[in-house]
Amino acid sequence: MINSNGVDGRNESCSHCTKTAVVRLTDPDRRLCAEHFISDCEERVRRAIQRERMISDSDRIAVGLSGGKDSTALLRILSRIFSSCDDDASSETDASENGATRPTADLVAITIDEGIAGYREETMEAAAALVSRFRIPQQIISFRELFGSDLDDLLKGREEEACTVCGVLRRRALLEGARRAGATKIATGHNLDDEAQSVLMNLLRGDLPRLVMDTASGYPDCFIPRIKPLLPLSEKEIVVYLVVQGAFTDLPECPYAHTALRGEVREMLSSLEVQYPGTRQRLISARDDVREIISPDETGLQGEGAVTRCRRCGEICSGEICAVCRVLE
Amino acid sequence: MQVILPDKSRHTLPQDPQDIRGILLKFGCNPTSVIVIRNGIVVPEDFTAREDDEIRIISVSHGG
Repeated sequence: MINSNGVDGRNESCSHCTKTAVVRLTDPDRRLCAEHFISDCEERVRRAIQRERMISDSDRIAVGLSGGKDSTALLRILSRIFSSCDDDASSETDASENGATRPTADLVAITIDEGIAGYREETMEAAAALVSRFRIPQQIISFRELFGSDLDDLLKGREEEACTVCGVLRRRALLEGARRAGATKIATGHNLDDEAQSVLMNLLRGDLPRLVMDTASGYPDCFIPRIKPLLPLSEKEIVVYLVVQGAFTDLPECPYAHTALRGEVREMLSSLEVQYPGTRQRLISARDDVREIISPDETGLQGEGAVTRCRRCGEICSGEICAVCRVLE
Repeated sequence: MQVILPDKSRHTLPQDPQDIRGILLKFGCNPTSVIVIRNGIVVPEDFTAREDDEIRIISVSHGG
């Protein structure tokens, strides 16, 4: 193999070809050029989907598409793996690389407009451009339509609760979008970093029920199973995946993001990952081990989570009043 | 070499070749939270930057 070398004589070429590497990955240790990195990412996601039996041929997948980087990567990758109608460039690659018919599952994008002035407009446009390019139907659900107010109005005087309120309402909106689209699964763009942060946050809050809850089998208030195909990829890998395809747009940050505990946990985990590589994956693996040992029943979740109907809105929930009605009080 | 940080500020570093990871740490950038573009192309942090290079550092961690 011919190597391209840096100024200090260090090897800068891909482990599989002579092109210059764009990333260095571990476990196993390898450097990859743009083309091999794209294939590597898509293959890791495809294997995770297969291993966890996330998607079957008859599924109609509601893909949560905010227009940000994670959901953009999710839609692109699922399109390449499952859809029969993606963009021209990837169709050519698939034909030459695989020479075989891809598995099919219907994809429909669900975009939630929370109503955050100065932030959502740009990401909504990015989402619209993406579904148009990939020829995927899109369902747009707004907080205003579903809950009667924009998030900005709902948060007046309680901005510190932003991520909790938004999270609860967004889950309901995504569920509603999935129902309207006749979906059998909901796919979200959660990545390795998001998942590791959630594990650590649940531990810090002492929230064992939430720690062991498996959303793949459905939240107590959501019986359409939720899948996270991007869990094998880190946030950084997702950005590189998009950048090398010219598909990364540096969109604005949510104005409410600074209020979240997640920000502090993110910083902490990033530092630990540098000092102790593999920390994020080990946290998730440990959580999975705990799930094997402790069922949600043993955490007290079953009592709280017994299926019932909200007394106010009639939606399926785990108590007398559902989380949505509680945050809308 | 020119280094452009996530906040768009520009910094000029001495001309000796430098390990990119060292540059990130010098500016307090966590290598897991940024990507590095050397002369318009994404590169791993264990690559080297030399005198005429432009190193652009982009943050990958966004809330929301």
